[in-house]
Amino acid sequence: MKTLSTEILVIGGGAAGLSAAAEAAAAGAKVLVAESDLHLGGQLVKQTHKFFGSKDEYAGTRGFKIADILLSEIDSCKENVEIHTNTTITGFYSEDGTFTAMRGEEKYFHIKAKKTIVATGAQERLIPFPNNDLPGVYGAGAVQTLMNVYGVVPGKRVLMVGAGNIGLIVSYQLMQAGVEVAAVVEAAPRVGGYWVHAAKIRRMGVPILLRHSIRKAVGDQVITGAYITALNDRFEPEGEETYVDCDVICIAVGLSPTTEILSQAGCKMMYVPQLCGLVARRDRTMKTSNPDFFTAGDASGIEEASAAMVEGRIAGLSAAADLGYPTEHGKLDEYWGRLQALRSGEAGARICQGLECVLVNRWEDVSDD
Amino acid sequence: MMEWKNTANVVIIGGGIIGVSTAYYLAQNGMKNIVLIEKGTICGGSTGRCGAGIRAQWGTEMNCRLGIAALDIFEQLDQELGMSVGLNQGGYLLVAYSEKELDTLRKGMELQNSLGIKSRQITLREAREICPGLAADDAVGFFFHGRDGHADPFLTTFAYLEAAKRLGVTCHRHTECTGILVDGGAVRGVETDRGIIHAPIVINCAGAYAQLIARMAGIEIPNWAERHEIMITEPVAPGVCPCMLMSFSGNYYIQQRPHGSIICGMSPAGHPEDYENKTTWQFIEEMSKTLIRLLPRTRGIRIARQWSGMYDMTPDAQPIIGETDVKNFYHSTGYSGHGFMLAPVAGKILAQHITGKKPDIDFSMLDYRRFARGEHIRESNVV
Repeated sequence: MKTLSTEILVIGGGAAGLSAAAEAAAAGAKVLVAESDLHLGGQLVKQTHKFFGSKDEYAGTRGFKIADILLSEIDSCKENVEIHTNTTITGFYSEDGTFTAMRGEEKYFHIKAKKTIVATGAQERLIPFPNNDLPGVYGAGAVQTLMNVYGVVPGKRVLMVGAGNIGLIVSYQLMQAGVEVAAVVEAAPRVGGYWVHAAKIRRMGVPILLRHSIRKAVGDQVITGAYITALNDRFEPEGEETYVDCDVICIAVGLSPTTEILSQAGCKMMYVPQLCGLVARRDRTMKTSNPDFFTAGDASGIEEASAAMVEGRIAGLSAAADLGYPTEHGKLDEYWGRLQALRSGEAGARICQGLECVLVNRWEDVSDD
Repeated sequence: MMEWKNTANVVIIGGGIIGVSTAYYLAQNGMKNIVLIEKGTICGGSTGRCGAGIRAQWGTEMNCRLGIAALDIFEQLDQELGMSVGLNQGGYLLVAYSEKELDTLRKGMELQNSLGIKSRQITLREAREICPGLAADDAVGFFFHGRDGHADPFLTTFAYLEAAKRLGVTCHRHTECTGILVDGGAVRGVETDRGIIHAPIVINCAGAYAQLIARMAGIEIPNWAERHEIMITEPVAPGVCPCMLMSFSGNYYIQQRPHGSIICGMSPAGHPEDYENKTTWQFIEEMSKTLIRLLPRTRGIRIARQWSGMYDMTPDAQPIIGETDVKNFYHSTGYSGHGFMLAPVAGKILAQHITGKKPDIDFSMLDYRRFARGEHIRESNVV
């Protein structure tokens, strides 16, 4: 059995993983990046919109351009970085510290690492309704990949479920691609995403129906329509069902952190609603209760890509420092300052609430339960 | 959450298939005020992790009797419990790889036949008719019993539990037994992390944890936990492995679920004896090689999941059923990896005994003191 060895294994080549790899490699550590997709960049490569946030995290730059910037940064210390795309980490076995990995469907091998940064991102959530397994029901992220990476439109007329930032941005991008958006339904009594995105699609005549949800999809072989309904204060259906003519139902109801590897590594986990699911407890260096495992980006809690990049830098810096590579004094505090700035808004307050639950000051004070 | 009462006629410890079926048959035999306690969730231990096989092809008379009686019950369990238990009778195909093993299996078959179990030796060609694509040219013989098969452990356990609840059984999940109350040589109830339950009868159905429960009453039983591993593939078209394919020396069992996933397991060398349900990469690698060698067309099928579970072992791989030196403190444990398939009959005969009826099968030889007396006979037909 072939075994690859590295000092730092970064699982996931998205915003957090690439930032972690760049930071650790710049400090001198040998880094191996394992990315399950065919190319690096994660969600950044399909984000054609300009980022908000801070100048340090490329505000005003479009997502796919940011991926290019990170890749060129990695390229500048490429002697320290080994990239494996099309490579999925399929498991971690704590008894002998072995990772199992698959390249494509054929090549199976092992990886050993001194430190591991889990930057596995997130998975799209789905909601249950009759016929939700018919072709034509998509996650919003999948629609974005189809259109913005592969240049394929998913259909002609879309019902968007969810008015968070992803639902709003993807609605706009669908219209940019010439696809009609029949309506956006949102179960909550208010729009979850930024007003600027909501206003943009309202100006283009798309109704955003608050306190509404999908009841069922209609279709024989593929989606031909959907029934939507109003909801009461207890989120129960109320009143008549309305038929919406559509051939695509796009589900944008949020993301859940991808944390299986962290669980397999025995990291202390915690369910935190503000971070959208089960995440690893971590200290200020993004280190988990397993001192050889770090977490960063959406895998550590769902947040903006800007924050994911800073968390990745913190994890990369800390992992390299733990291996004895000299790192710039005060850099950790600087990164925390940048995170605080990014989290100063309304959405950030919720994130900070969640972090208060999972952040550990001293591991010695955490009980074994 | 069910209402908490601190008295009961019977307390059953353990919410696996053994505890749940025992509760059901006790209630069916007229016992009132039965309380079952489970430290985790129903079906969350060995039952929910098992390979789900059901067979009557055993090497000892007692296991044969229990096995065929359990099959009789399984065949009409859907009607009795009012919901499907997912029974699938594709038969068990046993593969022998040496003359010695062939001899052992043939003796087993003769014993089985004498007890009314219609197992038979078959040729490689017949084996390939039952299991198309089987590559076992190195095998020296095959045995088959068509009434064997597998069922769904979750459906079976919940079918028993729901039927038991309809008969008035109370079930407390997330309730851990922390002590056994004993006074004057007889059991008086249990202590739990939620309070005491006074009861004149207590039954230990705690599987691999049964030795720890027994010790709370000052009793030592030769029962220990052994870690075994298992995995499941993505669903594929039916017919890849229509029977339960098994070999004791070849160290494997393989079956295909009704929805198409293939479940397979083997016993790793060394059998870690602990309570850790850990998994190893060595298992998936060895198991995959075995699977592809036996059924070459499984090459390329993706593994969906792997997990492990505990066999609750005894020195002779036969269960411990019956009363202990502490009066009215009963055991039904030590099923050594075949508790799921024996549960219907195990629950039934112990319930018959406790309610003063004559058990369908005399199980007095499964008394735990047989080991001290040196009267145990080792079961050979186990993976």
